[in-house]
Amino acid sequence: MLLREVEYAKPSSVSEALDLLAANDGARALAGGQTLLNVMKARAASPDALIDLNGLEELAGIELAADGTLTIGAMTTYAEVIGSAEAKARPILGEVCATIADVQVRNRGTIGGNICSNDPTNHLPPLMAAVGARMTIAGANVMEREVAAEEFFLGVYLTAVGPGELLTRITIPAGKGDGFAAVTLGADGTCIVSAAASVGDGVRVALGCVDAVPVVLQPESAEEDAVRAAVAGAGLQPPADVHASSEYRAHLAEVLAVRAARQAAERA
Amino acid sequence: MSTTVAPEKVAVPQKGWAGRSVPRKEDKRLVQGDGVFVDDVKRHGMGYLHFVRSPYAHAHIASIDVSKAEEIGGVYGTLTGEEVAALTDPFFQISSAPGANIKDYALAVGKVRYVGEPVVAVVAETRELARDASELVEVAYEPLPAVTDARRAQDEDAPVLHEDAGGNLMWTGVYEWGDVDGAFAEADKVVSISELHFHRFNSTPLETDGAVVEYNRGVGQWTIHCNNQFPGFAAIMMGPAIGCGLDKLRFVTQDIGGGFGNKITSHPQLVVCCLLARKLNRPINWTEWRTDFHLSMSHGNERYFRDTEVAVAEDGTLLGFRTKALDDAGAWLRYEPLGGVIWAQVVPGMYRWRHVKLEFTQVATNKAPVSPNRGYSRMQHLWFTERVIDIVAHELGLDPVEVRKRNYVRADEMPYTTPNGCVYDSGDYAQMLDVALGLVAYDSLEERRRDAERRGKLLGVGIGSTLDSGTNNFGQSRLINPELQFSGNNEVATVKLDIFGEIVVTLGTTPQGQGHETTAAQVVADILGCSIDDVHVRAGHDDYWNSHAGFSGTYASQFAVTGLTAVKGATELLAAEIRKLGSVILGSPEEALELAEGTVRIADNPEAALPFMACGAIINANNAGLPEDLDVTLNCRYVYRPPFEMPDVERKYGNLTLTYAAQVHVAVIEVDPETGAYEVVDYAAVDDCGKRINPQIVEGQVMGATAQAIGAAMHEIFEYDEEGNLLTPNFYDYHVPHALDMPPLRTGAIESPSPFTELGTKGMGEGGGAGIHAICAAVQDALRGHGDAVVWDSHNPYHRVWELLQHPEKSRGRVSVS
Amino acid sequence: METASSQPVSVTVNGTSYERDVEARKLLIHFIRDDLDLTGSHIGCDTGNCGACSVIVNGTLVKSCMMLAVQADGAAIETVEGLADNGELNALQRAFSEQHALQCGYCTPGMLMSATALLRENPSPSEAEIKKGLQGNICRCTGYWNIFEAVKAVAK
Repeated sequence: MLLREVEYAKPSSVSEALDLLAANDGARALAGGQTLLNVMKARAASPDALIDLNGLEELAGIELAADGTLTIGAMTTYAEVIGSAEAKARPILGEVCATIADVQVRNRGTIGGNICSNDPTNHLPPLMAAVGARMTIAGANVMEREVAAEEFFLGVYLTAVGPGELLTRITIPAGKGDGFAAVTLGADGTCIVSAAASVGDGVRVALGCVDAVPVVLQPESAEEDAVRAAVAGAGLQPPADVHASSEYRAHLAEVLAVRAARQAAERA
Repeated sequence: MSTTVAPEKVAVPQKGWAGRSVPRKEDKRLVQGDGVFVDDVKRHGMGYLHFVRSPYAHAHIASIDVSKAEEIGGVYGTLTGEEVAALTDPFFQISSAPGANIKDYALAVGKVRYVGEPVVAVVAETRELARDASELVEVAYEPLPAVTDARRAQDEDAPVLHEDAGGNLMWTGVYEWGDVDGAFAEADKVVSISELHFHRFNSTPLETDGAVVEYNRGVGQWTIHCNNQFPGFAAIMMGPAIGCGLDKLRFVTQDIGGGFGNKITSHPQLVVCCLLARKLNRPINWTEWRTDFHLSMSHGNERYFRDTEVAVAEDGTLLGFRTKALDDAGAWLRYEPLGGVIWAQVVPGMYRWRHVKLEFTQVATNKAPVSPNRGYSRMQHLWFTERVIDIVAHELGLDPVEVRKRNYVRADEMPYTTPNGCVYDSGDYAQMLDVALGLVAYDSLEERRRDAERRGKLLGVGIGSTLDSGTNNFGQSRLINPELQFSGNNEVATVKLDIFGEIVVTLGTTPQGQGHETTAAQVVADILGCSIDDVHVRAGHDDYWNSHAGFSGTYASQFAVTGLTAVKGATELLAAEIRKLGSVILGSPEEALELAEGTVRIADNPEAALPFMACGAIINANNAGLPEDLDVTLNCRYVYRPPFEMPDVERKYGNLTLTYAAQVHVAVIEVDPETGAYEVVDYAAVDDCGKRINPQIVEGQVMGATAQAIGAAMHEIFEYDEEGNLLTPNFYDYHVPHALDMPPLRTGAIESPSPFTELGTKGMGEGGGAGIHAICAAVQDALRGHGDAVVWDSHNPYHRVWELLQHPEKSRGRVSVS
Repeated sequence: METASSQPVSVTVNGTSYERDVEARKLLIHFIRDDLDLTGSHIGCDTGNCGACSVIVNGTLVKSCMMLAVQADGAAIETVEGLADNGELNALQRAFSEQHALQCGYCTPGMLMSATALLRENPSPSEAEIKKGLQGNICRCTGYWNIFEAVKAVAK
């Protein structure tokens, strides 16, 4: 419950934030804090310094381009996505954000934080993989590079954002044919298994909670048989824990993939 | 006689305060954040305590080195098990042999026996520093194999927790009444169930345990600000251990953030605080964090019921049962093995069977120590009887409503003496069931079932009926250990009339939200003929008020009987004294006087009145000239003692509880057969707790118990892996229901006054887990025709429901009919 | 710019200004309870689940156990102690009492702040919206049903 000693700074620009991260190996970015502070309470991880990204204009805001592309600043909160008129261009985003945790968490927690922490039970990694998001990462001298979702999620709590780097924005192409299905611990609770689907240029299904990173499938169609075949073909060996056995998770993945794909097809 | 009443939310103006849902006196401070919970208590110079806890389920402690921790500036000191063993005696054990032989100290001595067991205490200037310093304490462990399955605890090769006990068996006893063999010989059918399991969870009060302990060196007395809900028990445990008289332990509580039984056994931690307050000569603040609580405090009894056999007549009459109850006590006996007899308050559940044999065995395992949890030990047994009747109905194709009504104890049989001599005071269970079924429109459920099917869901409806036995006869402890010197029960209240007419009440209880200040005021106001606004009930418990006795505290569903009867007794004494004084002052015989509108006055001439303020002033400050023999102090103390006999230890026979409140619940669920996930779509809870002093308060208790039961049935479990690591050590994995999880709730009530209590009230609040029984039955019903799985565990999260759907034969294999 | 292990923090809480030097590691809830002696906000867990610590920071409902005190520098904070007006309970507080929406009172401050935030944003919430708005606040005593009634009683 009580954090170890830590240093703190609140930079006023991304450039300053990157400098601080680069200068200090043990520094971590502090976004919404709805995950990191709990990790620090448990002393499971204790960064030497926290670089507070709250208030950085460069990381805020949601833009909708004429072609329907959405650009979302990494520090956008779930609440801001839910309330954003622009984000409604891709309705699944607000719909899923509205099921994450609770009001208080949604007021502080950020899209970037959810994506970068890459806890296997997080909602957004599979969703980003399904909608074909691209992540913009800024490094030294604010040099930016773009990484596609499939290459972004590398392992449990591990993403392509390296030391001294920051996720700055997420770019999501236009689309409406999306679906999301999950079995959660209580209503709107932590996911036990989740599935995100997108139907547009082909079908993409991304499964959450079944591996270290979202498992992305490309079934031949959004039809039930095709989706089931794709899931079976993935050879899932999900982790077991107090909420589900490996076998049960694998079964849920199949059922939820079908449901997410069906929802996506209905909306396409 | 029982009457159906609609729960009232708004106070209906009527003569008298009892029976009215008056808003609570407690609320004004609580809604402003002005409650005083233990962590709100601050003392200058207090040291903050952090416990170093065992990371192993079972290990020898090879060495402890606190030197690095103590070197840090701002660290005030430490305490180790070695010191505790030198300074204190082991805690008194309730059990007879072999459990009697275990040596339980306030910190681990020589060995650790569960993950999270306190090993060293570190005290520092700030919370953070204590936490930091604790990481510098070096404890060397030699891990040992752990036993986490109670069914393995008595195996030849099982790791032994307490060498002094010679094994993991803590207590065992056989209970048998009626003619069990005869019943089975006579039975038309015998339903056998190989194993049922009641899971480990508790009520996770939102406020965890804690204390601020000060030591007065001059008089050798500790003041223990805490939230322990049974100071009588804590004192009896702590005094002999520390080696001090109980007058040296002053317990003070004010606001307590929920107890539910889980705040009864903090005495080991309190002893640590006491020793450190004395050693370091400063007040000690102990705050228990959520994870600490989950790891180490008050898990509810986990119990297996094995080799159950039920004797049934052709028409569905239950004749009797045999079963072997295996209880998992965890690593220490802190209130155990009382669970081994407390279940016997409700031997037959709500049913009329007369022939019962139950072999009770309690073992130790490398898990957190078990101690009372809401419904303590009765809930486990009542779940068992409900499972039995539900499974019998299921297997024999009997209607679950019909079979209950056939077997319920009937209203016209009350008071009903059970096979072991307990007396159910009053109640009409069949009527409650009808009310509950009406609330969920039971008759139209088939239509709802078809509608659910169209949406791809399986509808299930389940009944859960339960008893809330209240006001213990502590003599039942002798059935566990005949040498124990406890019996009966008591509670104390004082009521005084002070100088300016203040009516001040003190209680011995330690309320954690049950509204004692309000209901006590209601009882007082009715007797004294004044307004409840004139009655001030002191918040909480303080030994200095001298308003407590050996069993004082708030636990086991009893306040409406023990606390309120004590209040009634003290107030009646005060009322009599006021009349006596009034008689002298007004020059009128006592019989001609009445107490009304805050005065004592001549009934036929109300103008001739003496206001209470005058009474108080006269006795306290203006008493010259009063008759010498006037026995009036206007400060009255009353000790209520419920009418109990000593139980017959040989036959294990006798009345163990004074009152029996009851609840009947009906749960309607919809199961998603593809995932096993389900939700509660409708719910009815009907309760009967006799006369209700404040209907809104008792209804609140029923609601709270319902929510907790739903949580336990669907999500909440303290589950361990094989190495003894707790997999649900906090609220992230241990899911407690929140607002979005709540089903619609319909409530109903009937009132069957108790013939055994002065107010007609019955203790209530625990609730007996009716929600768990109902949801188990609903799950089983939903799966009817889809494998016909039998629900055998009290905990049915989605993965278990799915398992029951996938492999019903595994559950069905537990049941056979002959 | 340098990092620092502690810094001065200025906040206004319920209209009163405070200035303290605070360690960076100190959680806002501990700052409020221990440093400012405002013990109305409570702690019920250590994983950000229970909501007993809920307060309003610059108009936004947050769980103060998942903010550092230093992050609140310059903020206007509202806690339960600011709801009543000189001992006069506000309508929501009265409704909680009338509807018996509290028993032990431990979750109540956080629950009141969440209900306050909900009603500011949505003065006429449906029951579903009330449940959603209070989802982040755990209560073990009431089962929540009376809390819904209390919020409904105050809703327009």
